[in-house]
Amino acid sequence: MGQIKRLHEKLTAREITCVELTQRFLDAIENSNKELNAYITVTPETALAQAKAVDEKIARGEEIGLLEGIPMTLKDNISTKGIATTCASRILTGYKPIYDATVYELLLKEGVVMLGKTNMDEFAMGSSCETSCFGGAKNPHSLDHVAGGSSGGAASAVGANLAVYGLGSDTGGSIRQPASFCGIVGLKPTYGAVSRYGLIAYASSFDQIGPITHDVEDAAIIFDAIAKYDERDSTSQGSEAALPTLYDAIAGKRIGIANQYLNGVREDVKDAVLEAARLYESMGAQIVYFDLPELDFALPCYYILAMAEASSNLGRYDGIRYGFKAEHYNGIHDMICRTRSEGFGKEVQRRILMGTYVLSAGYYDAYYKKAVNLRGAIVAAFDRAFEQVDAILAPTAPVTAFRSGYLFGEETDPLEQYLSDICTVPVNTAGLPAVSVPCGEDSEGLPIGMQLIGRKFDEKTILNLAWQYEQRGYQAKETKWGVKL
Amino acid sequence: MVTREDIENIALLSKLFVDEKDLDSLTEEMQKIVAFADTISSVQVDTGEFDNINNLSNAFRADEVRESLPVDEILRNAPEQAEDHFLVRKRA
Repeated sequence: MGQIKRLHEKLTAREITCVELTQRFLDAIENSNKELNAYITVTPETALAQAKAVDEKIARGEEIGLLEGIPMTLKDNISTKGIATTCASRILTGYKPIYDATVYELLLKEGVVMLGKTNMDEFAMGSSCETSCFGGAKNPHSLDHVAGGSSGGAASAVGANLAVYGLGSDTGGSIRQPASFCGIVGLKPTYGAVSRYGLIAYASSFDQIGPITHDVEDAAIIFDAIAKYDERDSTSQGSEAALPTLYDAIAGKRIGIANQYLNGVREDVKDAVLEAARLYESMGAQIVYFDLPELDFALPCYYILAMAEASSNLGRYDGIRYGFKAEHYNGIHDMICRTRSEGFGKEVQRRILMGTYVLSAGYYDAYYKKAVNLRGAIVAAFDRAFEQVDAILAPTAPVTAFRSGYLFGEETDPLEQYLSDICTVPVNTAGLPAVSVPCGEDSEGLPIGMQLIGRKFDEKTILNLAWQYEQRGYQAKETKWGVKL
Repeated sequence: MVTREDIENIALLSKLFVDEKDLDSLTEEMQKIVAFADTISSVQVDTGEFDNINNLSNAFRADEVRESLPVDEILRNAPEQAEDHFLVRKRA
């Protein structure tokens, strides 16, 4: 049984009150957040008020829903009415949204307890959480290593038992890679499955919100709660529920392994993924090796498009309507330039510049337009693959968690960060769903993750496959942190 | 080849100031990223024009008046405001 169902039983059996449960999490955050830096904002008043309402309902003898009273957390790019939402950027200093994101609205209706907002790379641009203006979140398996990024705070918080689950966002791997680095589960839904209303935009044709959880069942429960059509996001469509078929047998399923996904992947990571493939075979699934040469250009294609969209989306930060504003200036152009130069961090500025470059006259056709059309080729290649297989198995990242500071060291090429996203970005480029689950550990005890990639709006198949693996495959190690229940 | 002038021009379009002392290192970094982006130029794939990821068309709602977000709440986030407007001083 997953952690959410287990806690739900404890609450309904009155083994623990919701206020007690919430207070234990708040105490654990108080004790550990200095070291882990998983949370940017903790919201004890909100959480305890929400918990109290659940206890009153239980006391009245009313039934509570599965998610009711379960303490959770939101990445700090998901809007929360009246609660600071920073995107881990100086430019949003003091900003408090005046509306809730749809995902939070949906979860509020379920009666959740919101513990706070989690750390991330600034505007979700990064792979280690270290571009956060608050400093990066640490890996609960080793404080010398990063939690991953960009949803590093959410993965650190869940991995360290400082929340039962968290919502993150995934533009190029930002849910799956930190989940993989922290030895937990992360689901990036199909583009359009979950509403982006209230998610502060990075690259709008890639961004998706999804759950970061301890186990696959929890991911399915959260996914089913948030994958709903929302008229406020014109690209939202909802998706089919995953829970009804989660525990089904998988005999006869065809799982593909694209040879290109294994290129350049560290040997121990590759071995762990192939070991999982053998386990699937023993459960009656069929493993099919195939070629997906389009993966070779997915990474530059993704970065061109994501940076172009980012440069446009981040044009709105001008110091006039919200957030940080430069103190001294002379004229409006000077004010906007100073505000943006002082408010955005280095990596965000680099991506805005690059995005502006590929969209500028003379370069638009060679870069942006070409990348858009190559995106079409990547979509078509995955479509062809899914005529042969039900899911694709791949490593989530080519390596395990980076040592803190490594990506931004003097010796490290700025491209290295981008190259490390090689396994995750093709999924976003094609708009597909993918779930990362722990499948091993390296010689230092750091977790290894694998991802199952599915057809569009077929989260149910990949979650079913992931759940079956979780029952018989590698068992993720608990960390020493947080609330043990 | 990315030049210092390219970076100055792009920075102007991006409304970002680049410090004179950072210009050389930034040009070098951008050159590396552009070279990486250039790897798509040699890819020959016969693709048609690609539109969008889920073949969506515009979603229109009925043209009816709905309540907007309250002005006073919106203005609470503004660094400066006056008489229901965002205030932008000429200099500070």
